[in-house]
Amino acid sequence: MSSEAHAHAGQVITADWGGGTLPYRVGHKKLGMWLFIVSDAMTFSAMLIVYSYVRASSDEWPTPYEFYPSIIFSTVMTLCLLTSSYTMVKAVQASAHNNLRSARRWLFGTILGGGAFLVLHIIEWINVIDHGLRPFSLPAEWAQRWPNAPPLFGASFFAITGLHMFHVLTGAIYLGWIMLRIKHTRHEDVEISGLYWHFVDLVWMFVFPLIYLMSFDPTAGGH
Amino acid sequence: MSRVLSSARGLFGKQDVLLVFLCVLLAGVFLALAATNLSGGISGLLSIDGLFLTAVALTMALVFISIPAMYLRERGMLNNPFTLGEGVPAARTAEAADLHFEGTTKLFLSVLGALLFLTLIEVLLAYFKVSLLVMLTLLIGLSLIKAALIIAYFMHLRFERLSLVLTLIPILCICICLLFVFFPDSRRSHDLRAVQVKDAVEEAR
Repeated sequence: MSSEAHAHAGQVITADWGGGTLPYRVGHKKLGMWLFIVSDAMTFSAMLIVYSYVRASSDEWPTPYEFYPSIIFSTVMTLCLLTSSYTMVKAVQASAHNNLRSARRWLFGTILGGGAFLVLHIIEWINVIDHGLRPFSLPAEWAQRWPNAPPLFGASFFAITGLHMFHVLTGAIYLGWIMLRIKHTRHEDVEISGLYWHFVDLVWMFVFPLIYLMSFDPTAGGH
Repeated sequence: MSRVLSSARGLFGKQDVLLVFLCVLLAGVFLALAATNLSGGISGLLSIDGLFLTAVALTMALVFISIPAMYLRERGMLNNPFTLGEGVPAARTAEAADLHFEGTTKLFLSVLGALLFLTLIEVLLAYFKVSLLVMLTLLIGLSLIKAALIIAYFMHLRFERLSLVLTLIPILCICICLLFVFFPDSRRSHDLRAVQVKDAVEEAR
């Protein structure tokens, strides 16, 4: 590398990291949200990996989900979250164009999508609880069908989907707060709430196939 | 080849050409190593040793190719895929109408369409009787594509500074990979249990 290039690189480093500027070109709040998302992503990946670990070390794992109601419910829930992510993008776009009324409407749509997700998920939980699934025991019917399965199906199911549900709930409350106060927020605040919402959507993209689709096939059994 | 080299000489010094040439050569050697490892078939690749060798070979190839890539970028021959954001989107002001917001409605709609399409494929995949390993690989692969689409476009990272991307993404990938260190133990404890059951059956006889 020539000395000229060295001097140029040095200039860039002092200009960006010498203080007085935002080296990432994002505000400190947005950077904080990104760092929180990274740490939260590690939490979720740890939980999903532990679930896979337990499943791989078991002789058998129940695959009880039939097309109706579980798979159709979870697929519709996925569609709800994806659509609400899109409406969130539209809200950020409207806010960038300083169109607050429209931003507020899109935010409301996003909250509706999240609410639909929550309602469907709670119905789904009630379904499996009625079936007899508990955190540390399987329904009698499943225990008969998969005799070598450990009783941890419920624990992994309730822990992972429960934590995700909690994230959706807090996300919906957060978005509601932003929606009500939109006149007093900066554009970046709307963007930050959007980052959180998209992250919740992103986590579901892994929870859905691993928890639901991998437990689909009703005839195969095995783990 | 010689024509390429002679045109390259106009841009680089003599020792630079040598360095770039050596780096490309070494990167090629490591890529070839990864390729020979792949030729052992899917079962050989998916073992711990196979994955380790492939990952190390690919990382070494990446390390060596990064030097020629940096040379090219310095001379403007390789465009930075991540555009540099100019300034922070500030408070809403009168001129906020021209606040920068990359991406159009059409772009976001097509991203949404792609996400829905991939979800549909995942659900359909559950219907086909494929082996568990193939199904898991396909599901995780599709989910990673979906995650990348969400991060890049919905979360806007595609339009942020490269320095932000490099601060956030590699560390996350490395930490998640490190979590997998324990994973081979799951198969081991499974196999151990099978041996114990077998011993118990023989003792009962």
